[in-house]
Amino acid sequence: MSSKKGGLYILWEYKLPYLFLLPSVILLIFFLAAPLVSGIYMSFQKISLRGISEFVGFRNYRLLLGEGRFRNNLLFSVLYVAGNVGLSVPLAYAAALLITGKLRGIQFFRAIFLIPFIVTPVVSAILFRSMVNPSFGPITALLEMITGKHYIILADSTLAMLTIIGHSFWRSFSFIMLFLAAGIATIPTELYEAGKVDGAGAWARFSHITFPLTKIHLTIVLLIITMWTLQDAETVYALTGGGPGYSTEVTAVRLFKDAFINFNLSYGATIGVFLLMMSAVFMVFYFKLMGGAEHY
Amino acid sequence: MKIFKKKAVITALAVGLIMWMGLVPSLAQKPVTIKFAHFYDPAAGPGHAMCVEWLEKTRAAFEKENPGIKVEFEWAKWDEIDIRSIRDYAAGIPHDVMMSSPQLMPKHFIAGDYLDLTSYAAKWLKARAEDINWTPVWKKCFPLGVPLGIHTRLVIYRRDFFEKYGLDPDRTPEDLDSLVKYAQLLTRDTNGDGKTDIWGLGSYFGPSRATIELHFAPYIWHFGGKLWDPETKRADFASEAGVKATRFVYDLVNTYKVTPEWAVSGTHDDVMLLGFLGGKYAMAAGWGSYWIGPVEEKGWTTGLFPPKPWGKATVADIFVTPTKPRAQFTNAWALSINKLSKHPDESFKLIDFVVTAERLIDYPDAGLPTLLSMWEKPELQTDYYKKWLEAAAHGKSMPYTAHYGELADTVAACLQEILIKKAPIEATLKKFEDEYNAKYAGE
Repeated sequence: MSSKKGGLYILWEYKLPYLFLLPSVILLIFFLAAPLVSGIYMSFQKISLRGISEFVGFRNYRLLLGEGRFRNNLLFSVLYVAGNVGLSVPLAYAAALLITGKLRGIQFFRAIFLIPFIVTPVVSAILFRSMVNPSFGPITALLEMITGKHYIILADSTLAMLTIIGHSFWRSFSFIMLFLAAGIATIPTELYEAGKVDGAGAWARFSHITFPLTKIHLTIVLLIITMWTLQDAETVYALTGGGPGYSTEVTAVRLFKDAFINFNLSYGATIGVFLLMMSAVFMVFYFKLMGGAEHY
Repeated sequence: MKIFKKKAVITALAVGLIMWMGLVPSLAQKPVTIKFAHFYDPAAGPGHAMCVEWLEKTRAAFEKENPGIKVEFEWAKWDEIDIRSIRDYAAGIPHDVMMSSPQLMPKHFIAGDYLDLTSYAAKWLKARAEDINWTPVWKKCFPLGVPLGIHTRLVIYRRDFFEKYGLDPDRTPEDLDSLVKYAQLLTRDTNGDGKTDIWGLGSYFGPSRATIELHFAPYIWHFGGKLWDPETKRADFASEAGVKATRFVYDLVNTYKVTPEWAVSGTHDDVMLLGFLGGKYAMAAGWGSYWIGPVEEKGWTTGLFPPKPWGKATVADIFVTPTKPRAQFTNAWALSINKLSKHPDESFKLIDFVVTAERLIDYPDAGLPTLLSMWEKPELQTDYYKKWLEAAAHGKSMPYTAHYGELADTVAACLQEILIKKAPIEATLKKFEDEYNAKYAGE
């Protein structure tokens, strides 16, 4: 009987909560779904500088996928994300464990660790650029001292990619660390005490208590950092401009150049759709990787 | 009752009239604020800092002469200011006076973001119009903009280095072969540590429009080619001439090693202006007329900025780019009015005020005078300025394509791939040209 009274009946029965939800739903549709649909729609059009648009089907997708440059843009984005996440998450996790411990002077280090996070991205990118300057950059000088060779870091494809990953790592590290530290701090101390009583060592306590209970935090932070890195156009553009050649031109930089420098809105929108798809793939991958989160 | 109503109406009218009389002048006196979008950033080096000072001085003078108009500055990066105008126009965001690039006028023409200035220019007296509209740059700017000067480029060199290494500072290279020979002779490791301290020929191949304009176009023109074909509306830089030009710049960096490898990174100002002023180059190609001021400030010329009849290049002198057409990219910054401007008349008043001999004479970025009357002055009859005039006379512009930005990006990225990764020249040029044409051929 109740099954017959499904959807609409439930809606009517619980109308008050749905009414309360309605403003948020409208706002979500207005600010999230509408631009998304509009962006996807634009990707199927050719838009002139006068704003005159013409439906071209999959032409923009075909042209972009047929371009070696764009396929590299996608590849470099994956490398950029993998490099940043692979470097910053494990190290930040370790640092989070460190700062949640009862160490002397930890307050000072918490403040220090926050500095990269509060510096404006473009400013820190310009700072990094000067640090790798071939004439006076301290990083260049250090490399030269160690290897005895002269480096022009931003003129070398691999080193330029490592520089943008390094910069992104420097920026993400403190955020990830604080986020994970907050998660670790919520684990009841009783669990650790019980573990100790049961004879669990440090590793066992970490692998059976800390890690499972911070999986959800880890998943969220992985998602946030991946989205940030994937969508990061400003710092890469300020650091390398996508060069040398196109060797650090990640998808977001390409989008920025096409949409906002050269004003090719339709290509920009198409690249945006690709970015969206990449984000979705990463999201599914992380959820699969982390499995279900543990609760206590 | 009737009398009372009549009195009330008369009183209301009188009060209204008094208020109106009081209000109108106060409204009239309320200053109009116009925005002036520029791209000078004091942190970007001495050239920019001098221009910011000039802008402040100009604003003060304009506001003094026009008490009813206030000027506010807006800022955008030099290679983004045009696109910002187009983007903001599409979004309905108004601007007033904006600095603009002649090579992007086709894009502005299509976007329709700039006001047609024909009706304003028509009000100029004949003598005033002829003083402004003689230059070839005018044709590239008008009716969407009024040029502020003539920007051309040539080669700057250090007379003291020439003398030190046995060259006559009054005899400069006449062709590309001798340019390379001079550069090889002048490339030096001065302290014997195995590293080059003075590079024979400074050039720039970074991710910027400056690469195609100043350090590639002159060579492709030399070998008889072009960057873009106006007939077919296709990129044409992978032609035989393009291959020869690329081979030439490749050799500068990788074979003759007279141009540093780091010329592919950093900003144009950092690599060229600061590099030359920092003593890193004996000669520097693509040297702009907007950098006359910083060289004077460095003390390497005297009486050349602002120009004096006795002006002389003491340490840093110049010669016209020694290619066959002796041509370098020639353009100018222009002033345009955004179509959404609420104060176009006041905006043009500002443009008219700026484009005068009195204002332009000490505008560091003007390059060479856009006003014909200024050239007759004795201070511009010196040998130094005659060389600039020769360079300007041979000047060429960038292709008149709506996708100029994309073309510039493509060529810069292509050259970087060839110079750094040592990718095969012909195949790489072709690959990049095909990619560009696949999207933009035929416009």
